[in-house]
Amino acid sequence: MTIRNFTLLIISVLLAATLLPAKDAGMKFTEMPSAASPLITFRVIIRAGAINDPAGKEGLNALTAEMIAQGGTKELTYTQVVDKMYPWAAGINANSDQEVTTFIGNVHRDNLDAYYKLISSLLLQPRFDPADFQRIKDMQINYLKNTLRSTNDEALRKQTLNTMIYAGHPYGKTEAGTVQGITSITLEDVKAYYAKTYTQANIWIGIAGGYPATLVETMRKDFAALPAGQPNTVTLASPPQVSGMEVTVVEKPTRAYAVSMGYPVSVTRKDKDFYPLLVAGSYFGEHRSFNGVLMNRLRGDRGLNYGDYAYVEKFVGGLGQPPFPNLNTPLRQQFFSIWLRPMPPDRTLFGIRDALFELKNLVEKGLSKEDFEQTRKFVLNYSKLWAATASRRLGYKMDSEFYGSEYYIDRIDQELKTMTVEDVNAAIKKYLNPDNIKIAVVVDEGKGQAFLSSMISNAPSPITYQSPVGQSILDQDKLIQTFTLTINKDKSVVVNAKDLFEK
Amino acid sequence: MMKTAGLTLLILLVACSGFSRPEENKIFPYKIHQTTLENGLKVIAIPFDSPGIVAYYTIVRTGSRNEVEPGKSGFAHFFEHMMFRGTERYPKDKFNAMLKSIGADNNAYTSDDQTVYHTVASAAALETMMDIESDRFMNLKYTEEDFKTESGAILGEYNKSSSNPFQTIDEKMREIAFGEHTYRHTTIGFIKDIEDMPNQYQYSLTFFDRWYRPENCVVLVVGDVQPDNVFALAKKYYSAWKHGTYKLDVPQEPPQTAEKTGTIPWKAKTLPILTIAYHGPAFSDKDIEYAAMELLSQCVFSETSDLYHNLVVDKQLVEFVQGGNEDHRDPYLFSIFSRVKDPNNIALVRDAIYAALEDTKSNPVTAERLEGIKAHLKYQYAMSLNSPDPVANSLATYIELTGDPESVNRVYAMFDRVTPQDIMSVAKKYFTPQNRTVVTLQQQEVKQ
Repeated sequence: MTIRNFTLLIISVLLAATLLPAKDAGMKFTEMPSAASPLITFRVIIRAGAINDPAGKEGLNALTAEMIAQGGTKELTYTQVVDKMYPWAAGINANSDQEVTTFIGNVHRDNLDAYYKLISSLLLQPRFDPADFQRIKDMQINYLKNTLRSTNDEALRKQTLNTMIYAGHPYGKTEAGTVQGITSITLEDVKAYYAKTYTQANIWIGIAGGYPATLVETMRKDFAALPAGQPNTVTLASPPQVSGMEVTVVEKPTRAYAVSMGYPVSVTRKDKDFYPLLVAGSYFGEHRSFNGVLMNRLRGDRGLNYGDYAYVEKFVGGLGQPPFPNLNTPLRQQFFSIWLRPMPPDRTLFGIRDALFELKNLVEKGLSKEDFEQTRKFVLNYSKLWAATASRRLGYKMDSEFYGSEYYIDRIDQELKTMTVEDVNAAIKKYLNPDNIKIAVVVDEGKGQAFLSSMISNAPSPITYQSPVGQSILDQDKLIQTFTLTINKDKSVVVNAKDLFEK
Repeated sequence: MMKTAGLTLLILLVACSGFSRPEENKIFPYKIHQTTLENGLKVIAIPFDSPGIVAYYTIVRTGSRNEVEPGKSGFAHFFEHMMFRGTERYPKDKFNAMLKSIGADNNAYTSDDQTVYHTVASAAALETMMDIESDRFMNLKYTEEDFKTESGAILGEYNKSSSNPFQTIDEKMREIAFGEHTYRHTTIGFIKDIEDMPNQYQYSLTFFDRWYRPENCVVLVVGDVQPDNVFALAKKYYSAWKHGTYKLDVPQEPPQTAEKTGTIPWKAKTLPILTIAYHGPAFSDKDIEYAAMELLSQCVFSETSDLYHNLVVDKQLVEFVQGGNEDHRDPYLFSIFSRVKDPNNIALVRDAIYAALEDTKSNPVTAERLEGIKAHLKYQYAMSLNSPDPVANSLATYIELTGDPESVNRVYAMFDRVTPQDIMSVAKKYFTPQNRTVVTLQQQEVKQ
């Protein structure tokens, strides 16, 4: 325990020293030309995100971005913009994250000129129509009130954990803001935020595919119309230190209980230590794969749920998304997390204990040489699949530049080829910790206090099976069902979902 | 790093003249190589310029549509899970270790009409994939204990979406709209059947014996491959697979004669969701009705439609409205969904949707609008073909529907032939009150 607390102290000091990434003066471009391709992809990043939301106006960054992506230009209404793009099957989407906001568009070369004119007008001369403002504001509030709080438990437990890990920290609000924050935003706020944030100092244009060389020069001239501006710098303090097991139980109507757990880690893709941790994360819980320990123990052996995964950096994922690391959601401070998909209520506590039991095993025993070699080989090969399209390659390249690192896929290749099992096990001991961890659980209404009490009391949580399972599993179950939970009562709460993300 | 020479071909075909390609007029720009083994297994190879990468798909033309016996809903999907439980030669752990060693992205999905097993991995591992895939399709073996354990994962899959109202709407709509056809249940199945799955071990063996047969499956390989090599490996690894005998008799749905309605009280906080469905035509690459319905859905429900402008942009009565005819082997539903901002406006929104559909019966779409829709559909498809996986996934859909990958070319050629009169004809035929089912989901109580 003492050693682990010391480790946390070191992590805390390291996090406190996190510096802002160096920013080039003026506009930044990332180009990946491929003359043979008929497709062109744009990723226009604004170096500002939810962390730039003014106090009391949480959600302003996202609302401004949507006013551009789902709005009009000075000359054309939103409807006219959509009508023009429709025959090309083109559009533009905004992805607002904590540190950056990305506008993503894809178009066929046949339609590039007209498409570029439209998206550059949207970004440079947004219409900011009051009717569009009302429509988008309603949608953003409804997302928090009627989707995140209510009809998507997987997103809810994930966002709850983020909020816990980053309580009082700039990352502590949802990317969409808060209900009260959005409610207070006016169209004038949007215009002012745009004027301050959409500047040459903050804009970063990525383009890939079969575009003509002259396009970049055209963009450089066109976007020079933006004011020079100043980088929107936000200094990040350390996330709060984790003390024991801090639990937030969220109540809402639900038939199965979803769980997230995790804590900050002080390494990102720029750091050498990130890469052994990446191998450890893949071994422990590769997303949507039977490679991971968690998936095999919780689902494969015990049928507790549909899936169990672990991540060494922010992972958003979601229906229809590829199972690969996210694009354009970079963070200067990262976190480790475990995702347990919904479990039957009477098996959830066992599932939480099982995941922590396996995490403790990982920290104490590490990977065997054989496990390491298999996982290293897997990650080396698998990572080549992540960048199958020009759009994904561009996204990873821009993220690498954000971190000040080499192209991510190449960096993985370089780091893993010289990595040893000792590197991985040292990183596990340095950065992973089963004793001090934040846990978010979504449970049925009226069941929260009893669930939290059962965690605090450390009462055994035995499991039964519909059919015989192997003796080794039963033997392990005896250890898991009484696995000691060191719940920090003072930092554990029961909340109702309707009260979350309010302000 | 993947190159895009395949897409170069695409641009040569489409440049400057929209999508006119006089020599073939095909939307799918890559050559389709196919052969059929003596046991009936069709093997398709599509070279795609993706150095070092292949997508390997096995399409089983069996989905929840095949679940004709009472109490067995959800079995096609359950069986998809069991296919990852190993064989004598490659037990589960060894199977997973082999996939891990080649860095594969490996998974599967099930729908009403198909079960698809898909892997993307190194082209150098093609023979390994052929070996382990053929082995599990021919020699799957699992214990009753494994079977019962996996049933927990199925319940978990149901649970993971249980807070999503659209899962419940799907269940309710099918149950009301269909009385006979197996489309009456969702792919994951009735919850009572899911909960009974642990007791169905013997039936699972029957299911495998019936459907996992070469004449019911297609192997599709896209990427950095030589077709001759694919066919030679397929012959080596799949020839021992025995042809099956089971004949499926799916009960056909009689015409609906009166409007049906349903309501879903929802415990959690939600905006009302209005769902309107009409029985529609089955997928067809020959019948213009199917193509006309596809274009009609764009006319009435795309973001450029008058209805969308009216309800979403101008009056802002709804968060979204969308509608379309989902591709199915047998006649399914043309479904319309809208999330309404104020419960008091549900009837207003419903009537606006009805009016938009009525309008398509008597007011022909303009030539300019129709051309815009046709261009949209073609660019949308062409732009999706950007790596081996989406190429294979796209063809898998057409293979499951007709067994023939060339269907994609016939369908898009048919889109080109759709006239305003075709659209008016299908609107008159299908959008009638007696052919309609309406399901409304509303919050049961408001807790503030």
